[in-house]
Amino acid sequence: MSSPFSINGGACVAMVGKDCVAIACDLRLGLQSLTVSNNFPKVFQYGDVFLGLTGLATDVATVSDLFRYKVNMYRLREERGIAPKTFANLVSSSLYERRFGPYFVSPVVAGLDPKTGEPFICGFDSIGCIDFSKDFIVSGTATDQLFGMCESLWEPDLAPEDLFETISQALLNAVDRDALSGWGAHVYIIEKDKVTKRLLKGRQD
Amino acid sequence: MADRYSFSLTTFSPSGKLVQIEYALNAVNQGVTALGIKATNGIVLATEKKSSSPLADPSSLSKISLITPNIGMVYSGMGPDYRVLVDRARKVSHTGYKRIYNEYPPTRILVQDVARVMQEATQSGGVRPYGVSLLIAGWDEGVLPEGAEEEEAKTEAEGDETTKKPTGKTGGTLKGGPMLYQVDPSGSYFPWKATAIGKSATTAKTFLEKRYTEGLELEDAIHIALLTLKETIEGEMNGETIEIGIVGPPADHLLGVEGVEGARGPRFRKLTPHEIEDYLTNL
Amino acid sequence: MPGFDFSNYNRNAALHAQGVPLPKATSTGTTIVGCIFEGGVVIAADTRATSGPIVADKNCEKLHYISPNIWCAGAGTAADTEFTTALISSQLELHSLSTGRKPRVVTCMTLLKQHLFRYQGHIGAYLVVAGADSTGVHLFTVHAHGSTDKLPYVTMGSGSLAAMSVFETQWKAKMTQDEAVKLCSEAILAGIFNDLGSGSNVDVAVITPDKTTLKRNYIKPNERTQKLKSYKFARGTTAVLNEKIIRKEDLGNFVSVQEIHVAEPGDKMEVDV
Repeated sequence: MSSPFSINGGACVAMVGKDCVAIACDLRLGLQSLTVSNNFPKVFQYGDVFLGLTGLATDVATVSDLFRYKVNMYRLREERGIAPKTFANLVSSSLYERRFGPYFVSPVVAGLDPKTGEPFICGFDSIGCIDFSKDFIVSGTATDQLFGMCESLWEPDLAPEDLFETISQALLNAVDRDALSGWGAHVYIIEKDKVTKRLLKGRQD
Repeated sequence: MADRYSFSLTTFSPSGKLVQIEYALNAVNQGVTALGIKATNGIVLATEKKSSSPLADPSSLSKISLITPNIGMVYSGMGPDYRVLVDRARKVSHTGYKRIYNEYPPTRILVQDVARVMQEATQSGGVRPYGVSLLIAGWDEGVLPEGAEEEEAKTEAEGDETTKKPTGKTGGTLKGGPMLYQVDPSGSYFPWKATAIGKSATTAKTFLEKRYTEGLELEDAIHIALLTLKETIEGEMNGETIEIGIVGPPADHLLGVEGVEGARGPRFRKLTPHEIEDYLTNL
Repeated sequence: MPGFDFSNYNRNAALHAQGVPLPKATSTGTTIVGCIFEGGVVIAADTRATSGPIVADKNCEKLHYISPNIWCAGAGTAADTEFTTALISSQLELHSLSTGRKPRVVTCMTLLKQHLFRYQGHIGAYLVVAGADSTGVHLFTVHAHGSTDKLPYVTMGSGSLAAMSVFETQWKAKMTQDEAVKLCSEAILAGIFNDLGSGSNVDVAVITPDKTTLKRNYIKPNERTQKLKSYKFARGTTAVLNEKIIRKEDLGNFVSVQEIHVAEPGDKMEVDV
């Protein structure tokens, strides 16, 4: 049988722009080569932070609910929203707690630091090792394609509108060369005082 | 433990009081006075270091403790109980917070954790309440954007025509800044601008009410702390008999490392006997 | 000690028994080295993290803080080096607060080896432990199974052979700080250029009894050149089916904030009536 990371398929990418960040995912849910749904988003919003989850769909659902619970409990306890960096460490320690029985997910975190407004993105392996990045983070079955797209398309200090085009084209063209991902995409552009969510048209094959 | 009875020693009296807690407070009220004053840019904790015998070595005694790099604690009441709580507070700040979020807990979160430990001792079987009241002082980083305060103040001033007065509203996990809390044996806790606990708490608090002003600076607060202590102290005041802890600007010289991005020195530190002597001579 | 949660273990083992491969964790690949000099110790590392043949992180940090006077270089499973060092750092900090003394390097090394031995090599952390304390300057290696070594110069990770070749040809006793920094960074460079698991930049930490100096990206021999042309797309390139904008100021339509009056403090026993 194939790896648990590639049973359901899916791709996710986050990018840093000028005073903004973007996070995007495809919408496919499959069972090996059979596509079951074209409306399975993999980016979740918890207040001001965003979490992208690719991997085994059952774990994507479990882990996204788990972190919604943890973020809500944090907000009740601390009377404030969680900062992206704090959330990243929470994700990391929660995944490492299951070091010897991991969830089959590769999370991506994106958000703006509430104090400084600085863009923050990072990625994780399935046991919680954080990959801090100053440019972009990719995850999912289209990882190899996304790395190629992002390494060539990304450039520093992209304005929100340009960042949208860059991340969208990177994702769409990457998933077109991955049989297990695609079928439309969600793109979030996160700025200081607004969040724009767009649904992209993608190939349905 | 099934073969042992384990009843709570703290039980309600018919009038609805928990006398064990009142007895614990009596123990606190016989303890050496400790006080804390919050300033705009820091906090001071102060207490008298009283030794029962002239033969005792005062340098081995320490009543003000660092809990996290930005939080310190002092007590009135029973020393042994205090040391247990210091250990618990340090431990819980790591296991319940730092090992999860990779950062130290904000003051209120730590205070709630310590208060929970103290409350549990009032409801658990086979234990007695802690015989201490604590003053916990700390600095929070806050999450609100820089410059939001002024904006907020501006909109407030526009809202009502009253002239802007210093509200004394500092600190907290949102805005960041200094916070001073008192925790009692019952497990209840209160935020203060300035307060005192222990034997001469009432006298000291009356004195503080007279001396405290809004917009106090840390140096003034240390001065007032020493004056208040002078009112209540029984023995001589010098660097050996007084203990002072401050929450102030980050002490980067205590960090011990260079070149680590974002690393900041501890804000809480204890004043050396020499520093205390200097403040006393300028009193 | 960290209290691992094994509740997914049986499910994952059952999947594995059906032929599902185990997940590949981020590995540091790595060249890490350490070297004692007259009056201190230097440790150094490359900054590449790999996931199989893919470079997962081009500039990761492999020099881990234990205490101001003790630092660790980590190779092996990246998450294991990160969390093992963080756990021991936390334990040592609590220990040092309750004893009122600065932590010792041997204490750190012993805690690490006991922790790793307990997990019988399943925690894949290979560490170089270095520090200065009241008993002098020390340099150790700790392997994932719990064995330790104490040597004047050490290398670990997939680039350890390349790095050791530099030490074996150039090392001499009683070096100065500058000589040791130079030797360590050259050993790392040997790993960066000759070992595929290592790459990018050189990180160095110099530990002396009075302070530690971290030189992050001390040498950057592989800087990416600026792209000469831009692939920026014209705005409106991407076909959008639907757009939703949420502004901070509109959030007031969904939530209302109310100031709550706080009761006067000072009551001995809080009894709300």
